Amino acid sequence: MDGFDLRYADYSLSRDQEAVRDAFRDFFTHECPTTRVRDAEPLGYDETLWKQLADMGAASMGLPERAGGDGAALVDLLLVAEEAGAALAPVPFIEHVAASRALAGASGASGAAGLLADAATGRQILALAMEPADRLPRQLVPGGALARHVLALDGGTLIVAAAEQPPSLAPNQGSTPLAWWDLAGGSRQELAEGPDALALYQAARAEWKLLTAAALVGLTERALHVAVEFAKTRETLGVPIGSLQGVAFPLADVAIGISGARNLIRRAGWMCEHEPAESRRLVPAAFAYATQVATHGATTSAHMQGGLGFTIEADASLYFLRAKGWSLLAGDPAEDVIAVADALVAAAAGR
Amino acid sequence: MDFSPVKLDAEQQKFVDEVRSFLAEYVTADVLEEERDTGSGFNERVHLALGQKGWIMPTWPAERGGAALDPVRAKILETQLRGSGAPSVTLSTTGLVVKAVEKYAEPDLAAELLPRVAAGTVRFCLGYTEPDGGSDIAAAKVRAVRDGDEWVINGSKIFTTGAQNCQYTFLITRTDPELPKHRGLTMFLVPLASAGVEIQAIRTYGGERTNIVYYSDVRISDRYRLGGVNDGWTVLRGPLDQEHSFGASASAPIGDISPGATWLHTLERALDSAIIWASTATAADGRRLIEDRMVRYRLGQVALQMEAGFATPGPMGRVKGSDALVHGAAELMDLVGPAALRSEGSPGAEVTGAIEFAHRFAQGTATYGGTVEVFHGIIAQHVLGLPRPNYPGSKQLVTTKREPAPTPA
Repeated sequence: MDGFDLRYADYSLSRDQEAVRDAFRDFFTHECPTTRVRDAEPLGYDETLWKQLADMGAASMGLPERAGGDGAALVDLLLVAEEAGAALAPVPFIEHVAASRALAGASGASGAAGLLADAATGRQILALAMEPADRLPRQLVPGGALARHVLALDGGTLIVAAAEQPPSLAPNQGSTPLAWWDLAGGSRQELAEGPDALALYQAARAEWKLLTAAALVGLTERALHVAVEFAKTRETLGVPIGSLQGVAFPLADVAIGISGARNLIRRAGWMCEHEPAESRRLVPAAFAYATQVATHGATTSAHMQGGLGFTIEADASLYFLRAKGWSLLAGDPAEDVIAVADALVAAAAGR
Repeated sequence: MDFSPVKLDAEQQKFVDEVRSFLAEYVTADVLEEERDTGSGFNERVHLALGQKGWIMPTWPAERGGAALDPVRAKILETQLRGSGAPSVTLSTTGLVVKAVEKYAEPDLAAELLPRVAAGTVRFCLGYTEPDGGSDIAAAKVRAVRDGDEWVINGSKIFTTGAQNCQYTFLITRTDPELPKHRGLTMFLVPLASAGVEIQAIRTYGGERTNIVYYSDVRISDRYRLGGVNDGWTVLRGPLDQEHSFGASASAPIGDISPGATWLHTLERALDSAIIWASTATAADGRRLIEDRMVRYRLGQVALQMEAGFATPGPMGRVKGSDALVHGAAELMDLVGPAALRSEGSPGAEVTGAIEFAHRFAQGTATYGGTVEVFHGIIAQHVLGLPRPNYPGSKQLVTTKREPAPTPA
């Protein structure tokens, strides 16, 4: 971070990227109203919606062409994740994409070809164990209640653990398909060893975090939108509450968080592909910031709707419960805050 | 999307070297120490030398006194200048006003002033804020009354930073108190050498010197009027909008997008210092502090707020830049403990001085160019589309004369 380095700071989307974003925005707007989100509770899975999404190519777009994908960049996937997050779409897009890309990366793994082909069509849902299995053999796996295959790192080996049926749901605040997986025993296939395994696993975790961060930004923006619309029409003392600084300014603070988090996530995603050294600082920064923005944004947006925002009937409840429900799936975000400092210290030592 | 390093060609690399050697020659340790002592935001020798190079108005063509720099070279100059710590307040206020002079000054006045601006002998400061007006610039009460070919100006402006180093102030005045408040304003370029102008210093704990400027029956020619009578708000908008962007790149997306980036660079220096401090200081058990997870958590939290600040655009970035600095600098002070209280520039504070400075300096950033509350209002109304509040003084000039409070018996 030498202040003398000139860098481009072009956060804009290309036409193709805008088209991708708009296509998925339209899809979720039409297909995934909040009634459908509620209908999918408590599992947080709508099989028909997932099939529709896979038909649009969402499950395969991030895979290399040789694996039946479109070779989409991480930044493109982030756009889809943000739209899915905004709609609170009950689909396992994030874990599936992060795990499938790692699986495709471990191309030497024989016998994984069939699984990868099924993953590309969305017929088999994949999930990712967020903690190394040797450190935490039994762990809650995001999307683990839908998947029969979970990618994990076990003592330096990248494995895919398999089950006859997905384990049962661990009911949770965010209504996400979380389930306990025991990764120590059971059927498994080894995908990669040594440095390759570690790199694939770390990349998958980083991608999962950025995709989740993008979804949190989408969630927060929609939560804010609901609160803003409420504040425009709800009156007190003869004026709309949104004209009062006590309401308007906290909502402006939410907008400040969203705009920065979105850009930070994009920059981090771009760096993952182009300058991995930068991504070591930016990915945890983007993820930790997104979790803070989401918690603050969902809380503020609900509160600006007063008691109504505290009721289950209000859509504010959906955003509030998922803001934490998604933020904690990979553990305490404080670990990411520490990771930011670790990257800075390493960079300073290298100077 | 593109965040790659700008690849400099041989010519541009040569330009980097040219700027660096210029700065090494002119922005000396003495200049920096003087700036720390005076907080003047200006050094005449540096400023005139910049003018010699054409670097005051660097993108102007040579025949106008500029250096015809392309956007990349202009960015190199800006970045190197910032990194050198050269006093820059008057350079930046001059740059804000010059566009309004180009656009609104009578041709003969523009012809007289603009070459001197480029050379460095004419400099401008901002006469916006009034002692009882704060950020509500459109409520200006400094009166300008026409008298033949002249105007007579009375009143006072506060926070006219750099007035002691400038030849003209860009003064927003009230010319018609009866009109709606944004329409009764007229802009002037007031020569600060005029009789009746009195400049008094005000010091901030951010280390800056600013001023209160009194105008008592100051008579100026009508040639110093910029734009139409009662059309001052139009003239003000250009420089004000530009100031609100605080030098963030408008055209080529190179460098910083956040209007608060300048302040984040202050935080960056403080954070770098804190990392050096934590990497060398040891705890009672002999371990380096950086090995303590709590220390790393606190450093990481400051760093990620800073990264978020750099990524935040528009009016949101202006608020975030200030917030991140205000809270980050205070946190780094706590982290270092009492040693952080030692004044910047004093013996023993070589490493932590940047933190001590950042904490004092941060407070002003929440006010510069309009308070963060003004920007919250802008975000609420223009970004979120929330309804505009309806205050008595929104559209009309309201002069509330309160009865003095009764003296306690």
